[in-house]
Amino acid sequence: MQDLVSVVTLGSVYLLFALGMSITWGTIDILNFAHGSVFMFSAFSASLVLERLTLGLVPVLLIGVVVGALMSVLIQVVAFEQIIKRARDRRTAEMQILIGGIGVAIIPLAIAQHHTQSNPFGLNASSFTVESISLGGLRITNIQVLTVLLALALWAAAAVWLRRSRQGLALRAIGVDAQTAALMGVDRRRLALVTMAVAGGMAGLSGVLFTFSLGAITPESGDTLLVKAFACIILGGVGSMLGVAFGAYLLAAAEVVILTQTNGSWVEAVSFGLIFLVLLVRPAGVFGRKEVRRT
Amino acid sequence: MSDFFNANLVLVQSTLTGLLLALSIQVPLRMGVFSFAGAGSYGIGAYATGILVLRYEMDALPAIALTALGTAVIGLLLGALISRLGGLYLAMATVAFDLIISVIAINGGELTGASTGLFGIITDFTTGQMFVLTVAVLALVAMSEVGRLGRRVDTVRDDPELAASMGINVRRYRLAAFVVSGALGGLAGGMNVLVRSTVGPLDIGFGLIVLALTMIIVGGSRSWKGALIGAVIFTWLPDLLTVIGEWQELVYGVIVAVAAIFLPRGIYGVLQDGTRWVQRVRRDRRAAARGGPVVDADGGLRPQEDEAAVLVAQAAEQPVRELDQLSGRTQGAP
Repeated sequence: MQDLVSVVTLGSVYLLFALGMSITWGTIDILNFAHGSVFMFSAFSASLVLERLTLGLVPVLLIGVVVGALMSVLIQVVAFEQIIKRARDRRTAEMQILIGGIGVAIIPLAIAQHHTQSNPFGLNASSFTVESISLGGLRITNIQVLTVLLALALWAAAAVWLRRSRQGLALRAIGVDAQTAALMGVDRRRLALVTMAVAGGMAGLSGVLFTFSLGAITPESGDTLLVKAFACIILGGVGSMLGVAFGAYLLAAAEVVILTQTNGSWVEAVSFGLIFLVLLVRPAGVFGRKEVRRT
Repeated sequence: MSDFFNANLVLVQSTLTGLLLALSIQVPLRMGVFSFAGAGSYGIGAYATGILVLRYEMDALPAIALTALGTAVIGLLLGALISRLGGLYLAMATVAFDLIISVIAINGGELTGASTGLFGIITDFTTGQMFVLTVAVLALVAMSEVGRLGRRVDTVRDDPELAASMGINVRRYRLAAFVVSGALGGLAGGMNVLVRSTVGPLDIGFGLIVLALTMIIVGGSRSWKGALIGAVIFTWLPDLLTVIGEWQELVYGVIVAVAAIFLPRGIYGVLQDGTRWVQRVRRDRRAAARGGPVVDADGGLRPQEDEAAVLVAQAAEQPVRELDQLSGRTQGAP
C-alpha cells in the first residue's frame, strides 16, 4: 500500500510537469526542450529569495509559478517566435524549435550550476516544514498530499479550459490547422503566449513542490524529468489530456514496481523502453488520434 | 606545426571523432530522417571496440572494422523497425534508443564494467591512422552531396512524394540513412575509445546528442563542411573559453541559442551566401564593363541598367500597377 502512495505522488509530479509540455506540443506545435530548465530555475529562484527572506508555503509556490511563467513567455518571445518567423515550413520550424530549446536551456542551467557549484539546493529556509502524517498505517507527508491535489485540480482545470472555453476551442483549432484558425480570426501570437505562460507556471509550480518533497534537487534534475515527460506524453498521446494523466501514472507505477523488485539501476530504462514500445505499437499514443497532415 | 600538433593532440583527436559523430546525425537529417540514433551507435561502438580489444585481444583496425559493421547492421535493424514513424516521433524513438544504450552500459556488469566503464584499452592505434580513416569517410560522405546522388538525396528530403514519383525508392534511402548513421557513429565511438583508452556510461548519455546537434546547427546542416566547421568550433571553443573563466558555460549556451535562432543554415550557410553575393557582384561588374547582358545566379538573364532596359521594365510593370489600383478600388467598395 505504501507503494501505491509513492506511485500516486510520483505520478502527480510527472503529471504537473508533463501537462504544460503536452498542451504546448499538442496545440501550438512547440516541443519545448527548455521546459526542464524552467522547472529547475523556478525552484532555484525560490531558493535564492529564501536566502534573504523567510517565507511561508504560499509565497514560495507563487514565486515558482511567476518565475516559470515569465521564463516561458520570455523564451517564446526571444527564441520560438523568431524561429517560426524565419522558418520555411512547418517541418524545419519543428526541428529548429527543438534545437533552439536545447540551446536556450543551457543558459539557466549554467547560471544555476555556477551559483551552486552543481551542488543540490533546497528550500529548507522556508517557514513551511514538511511533516509526515499517518493515515491508517500509511505514511504520507503534507507536501505529498498538496502535490497530488494540485496536480489533479490543475489537470482537470486545464482539460475543462481546453474543452469548454472559447480560448480552448481556438487553441485546439490551431492544433488541427493553424492557417485556417488564423483565417477564422484566432490571434495565434497572443494565444501562444498565454499557453506558454500557463505551461511555464505549471513547470515552476512542480519545481517548487518537487524540491519541497525531495528536500533538495540538483540543477541537472530538469533534464531527467524532461525525458520522463516525453514518455508520459507519448504513452498517452500528444495533446490528449486524458492521455497525459494516464501516461504519468502508468510511468510512475512501472518505475515503482521496477524500483521495489530490482536493485533499481534499471529504473531509467523503463521510460525509454516504454517510449520505444508505444511508438512501435501505437505511434499516436494510447489516447491519441491519428495525426492527419496535409502539406 | 608539429609542436602545435603535439601540444593539442587531444583536441585534434576530439575534433576528428566529433566530426564523425556530427556526420552520423547529419547524414540522416540531410535525407529528411530526424534520427539521433548516431549517438547510440557511438555508445555501442565505443563499448564494442573496447570489449573486442580488452576481452578478445583483437588488434585496433580489425576491431574498428568489426564494430562499424556491427553498428551498421544495428542501424539497419533499428531503421527497419522505426522508419515508418515521422518527424518528432521518430526523433523521440531514437532518443529513447540512445538512452537505453547508456542504461544497458550501466547494467552490463562484468562485460561493460558497470558504472566505472572500461579502461586500459591500449593498442597501437595512431592519430595518423585515425586521420586517414576520417578523411576517407569524409570523402565518401562528400560524394553523396554532389551529382546525381546529391540531387536525389535533396529530393528525398524536400519532397518525398516527388521523389517517389520520379522513381526513387524513398524507403530504401531512409534505410540507408540509418545504416550510414550507424556505421559513422560506431566508427566515431570506436576510434575515440582507442585514443582515450577508457569509456564510461557518462561519456555516452544525452549530452552526446546535444553536442552533435549543436555542431551541426551552428556549423550548418546541409553539408559536411558545416559539420566540420561545427566540430572544430565546439571542440576548441571550451578550451578558448577558459579565458572567460567561470561563465564559459553561459557563453556556450548563448552561442548555441543564437545560432539556432538566427542562423538556420549555420555558419556554412552564411559563408555560402556571402561568397555567392561576392561572386554575383563581381560577375555583374565584369558584365557591365563588357556591356553584355547580366547573368543571374540562376542562369536567367537580367536586363541591363541602361535607358532602354529601364523603359522596357517600366512598360512591363505598367499593367500590374493598373491592376493594383483596380484591386485597391474594389477592396474599398462595400
